[in-house]
Amino acid sequence: MSILKLENLGYSYDSGKTPVLENLNYEFENGKLYAVTGRSGAGKTTLLSLLSGLATATSGRIMYLDCDVSKIDRYRYRSRSVGVVFQNFNLLPHLNAVENVLLSMDIAGVKGGMKKAKALELLAKVDITGPLAKRRVLKLSGGEQQRVAIARALSFDPQILLADEPTGNLDLDTQDQVISIFSNLAHAENKCVIIVTHSPQVAQSADVVYQLKTIRSAGKQPAKT
Amino acid sequence: MYVFKNAWKSITRSPGRNIIIGVIVMAIAVSGSIALSIRRAASKAEQEGLEALNITAQITVDRQKMMQAAREQGGDMREALQGAQELSIEQLQTYAEAESVEDFYYSVNSSFDAGTGLSPVDTSSEEDDSSDTQPDMPGSMPPGGDMRGGMGEQGDFRVTGFSSYDDMTDFANSTAEITGGEVFDIDSADADCIVSEELAQLNGLEVGDTIELANPNASDETYTFTICGIYSYTGSDTSGQMIFSASQDPANRIYTSSAALLAVIGQSESVAQTSTDEETGLTKTTALRKSVSGTYVFADAASYETFQTQVTAMGLPDTYRVTSSDLTQYEDSLAPLKKLSMFASYFVLIVLLIGGTILVAFNIYNIRERKYEVGVLTAVGMKKRKVALQFVSEIFLVTLASIIIGTAAGAASSVPVANKLLAAQVTSAQEDTSNTGDFGGRLGMPAGDQSPPDQGGPGGFRGRVVDYVSSVNASADMVVVAELMGIGVLLTILSSLAALVFILRYEPLKILSNRT
Ligand SMILES: Nc1ncnc2c1ncn2[C@@H]1O[C@H](COP(=O)(O)OP(=O)(O)OP(=O)(O)O)[C@@H](O)[C@H]1O
Ligand SMILES: [Mg+2]
Repeated sequence: MSILKLENLGYSYDSGKTPVLENLNYEFENGKLYAVTGRSGAGKTTLLSLLSGLATATSGRIMYLDCDVSKIDRYRYRSRSVGVVFQNFNLLPHLNAVENVLLSMDIAGVKGGMKKAKALELLAKVDITGPLAKRRVLKLSGGEQQRVAIARALSFDPQILLADEPTGNLDLDTQDQVISIFSNLAHAENKCVIIVTHSPQVAQSADVVYQLKTIRSAGKQPAKT
Repeated sequence: MYVFKNAWKSITRSPGRNIIIGVIVMAIAVSGSIALSIRRAASKAEQEGLEALNITAQITVDRQKMMQAAREQGGDMREALQGAQELSIEQLQTYAEAESVEDFYYSVNSSFDAGTGLSPVDTSSEEDDSSDTQPDMPGSMPPGGDMRGGMGEQGDFRVTGFSSYDDMTDFANSTAEITGGEVFDIDSADADCIVSEELAQLNGLEVGDTIELANPNASDETYTFTICGIYSYTGSDTSGQMIFSASQDPANRIYTSSAALLAVIGQSESVAQTSTDEETGLTKTTALRKSVSGTYVFADAASYETFQTQVTAMGLPDTYRVTSSDLTQYEDSLAPLKKLSMFASYFVLIVLLIGGTILVAFNIYNIRERKYEVGVLTAVGMKKRKVALQFVSEIFLVTLASIIIGTAAGAASSVPVANKLLAAQVTSAQEDTSNTGDFGGRLGMPAGDQSPPDQGGPGGFRGRVVDYVSSVNASADMVVVAELMGIGVLLTILSSLAALVFILRYEPLKILSNRT
C-alpha cells in the first residue's frame, strides 16, 4: 500500500495564472527510493512543497495513508511524519549545527536525554564532526550546510524523507556517501525516500524515477488571446 | 520548554537589536521612575502632612454671599451686613455637638477704655514699630473682622477671654510667653488677667496689682481686673499692619478667661441703657460689645470635611461658612509639590506615548527582519502559536530586564532630581507670591527682604508667605516599582500584539520562496 498518493494533482501559482503541475498520479511506497527529475522550472520544488504540506493543491489531492494532506494537522505532519531537506537548506543562522538539529527534535517532541548524542551521531554520519558541529551554520560552507540540513531532516526519524537536490553542492565522494544513507533508509529502515535531482547517478540508484514535464507553454496561451 | 530555551538563545545570539530595545525601555524606565517617584512622594507628603495636621475651623459670616444676596434683591447693603449676626456661644456650641468635632473652644473679645490710673501704650509715639501681624495674635478675629460693628476702632484696650488654653496659640508656639506671675485660671470667672510687658512698664504695674477698665459707651461704668501675670510677645514684627487705633496695638491686649469676660459683659448688659435711633430705627445700647470666635478641632481632614456637611444638616444657614486656615495654608504649602506632581504625570504620559511608539515601531521592524526565521520554524513544523510565544517571551524578557535596570538607575537618581525640580518650583512659586502680595507694614522695606520660606512660618503674613514643602523624600518604593512593571507589561503587550499580527499573517512558503 502506498504511503503517499497523488490523485490528479495540479498546482498553479498566482491564483491560476501560472500553472506548474497538471494531472499527476504518482504513488510512493515505504521501502523505496524515488527520484523526481525534470528541467529547471518544471515544478520539482513545487511538488515537494505540496508533499510536505507547505502548499495546498489547487486541483486534485495528495493522500497520506488514508487522509487528504490538505485536511490534516499540517504542523504535526511536517514536524513528525515528513523530514525535508530544502533546496536552500533553510537552517537557522543564529544557531550552530547541533542546535539546528536539536531544534527539529524539540519541535517534533522527541523525548529523552539522548537527544544531543543522537544529533551528534546524525551529524557524524554526514561528516559534520568536532568544531564544525559547534559552529554557527552561517559560517559553514554550502556543502556543509547541506549536510546539516540532511541531518536535521532525519533527526526525528520521519517515515517520509523529502530532499530537494540534496547532493547539488557535494563532491562525488560525499555524494556517494549521502546516496548510500538515503538508500539505506529506504531499503534497511523501510522509509519512503523521495529525492529531487538533476544527477543521473542519483537517479540511477533510485528504485523509481518520475520525470516531470514542463507545462509552461500552456500557461502562456491565455495571455496571447 | 524548548520555546523559552530558543527565546533565550535568540536573545543572546543577537545582542544588537536587544540592546536597542533595552536602551529604549531603560530610558522610559529611568524617566518614568523619576516622575512616578515624584508623584508618589507628593501624595505621601500630602497624606503624612494631613495626618500630622491638627485641623481647626471657624464658622464665620459669609459676607460676600450676604452682599451678593443684598445686591440681587436690591436691598441696602449696610442693612444686610448689620443683620449678619455672628453666631452666639450657644449656637457655636450646638454645632460643636457634631460627631466629627474632637474639641471645641471659643474666645470672646471686647473693647475697653482705660479707667483711672491706667494709660494705654500709645502707638503713635512709639518709634519702634512693635506692630505685629494682627491675625497671629491669640484669639484675634479672622481677617476683615476689624470692621465688624466698628469694634476695632473702639476703645484703648482689647480684652480677650479664652475658654481653653489650647486657643492661646501664641503661647503654645512660644511666640508669646509669661515672664512674670502666672496665667489666669481658664475655668474661673474671677477677673484675673495677664497684660503685656510694655503696658506694665508704662504704668508701673506688677503681678497682684489691679487695673481699672471702662466701658467705651459709658465711661462711668468701670470694671476691675487683677493682674495675675505679665507676658512678653516675641513674635517677629517684620510684617505688620498699619495701626489705626490703640486697641489694635498688641501691647494693649489683655487676656483673661472667657468666663471672667462674659461675667463682666453680663454685668454691663444688666445696667445698659437702650435707645432707638429715630432715623434708622435701629436700637442702640450702651452695653459692652462683644464678639465671639469659636474654634472647632478635628482629628483629621476627613472629619473636617464631614463637619462641613454635618453643620448644614444641623441647620446652619448658607450665609455662614466653615473655613479652616490650617488646611488652606497646608494646601498652599503643597502647591509646588502638587504642580511638580502634575508635571510628572504629564511627563510619564508623554514618555510612555513617545517611548511606546518607538518601541512598538522597532519591534515591528524586528519581526519583519526575522520573517525568515518565522518561515523556517513553521516550515519544520513549529506551530505559529509557539513561534509567537517565543517572540513574545523574547520581547518580554528584554523589556522586563531593562525596566528593572532602568528602575534601579531611576531610583538612585530620583531623590536628587526630584528635589532639584522641586526647588525650582518653590522658587517660582515664591516669585509669584512676592509679585502679588505685600502691602501695609511692608511699605518702605527693601524689596527682597522677604524672609526665606523656611523661617517665614509663624511670624509671617498668613496666607502670603507660605512655608512651602521644599524637599521630598522621593524613593522608588514598591508602588513605583509595581507601576513601572505595569508600564513594562503594557509596552510588552503592545509590542507583542504588533508582533503577533505579523507572525500570524506570515505563510512559510511565501517567506521561503521570496527569499533571495
Ligand atoms: N511563488 C511563486 N510564484 C510564481 N511562480 C513561481 C513561484 N515559485 C515558483 N514559481 C514558478 O514555478 C515554476 C516551478 O518552480 P519550481 O521551483 O518548482 O521549479 P524546479 O523544478 O524546482 O526548478 P529548479 O530545478 O530550478 O529548482 C517555475 O517556473 C517558477 O518560476
Ligand atoms: Mg527546485
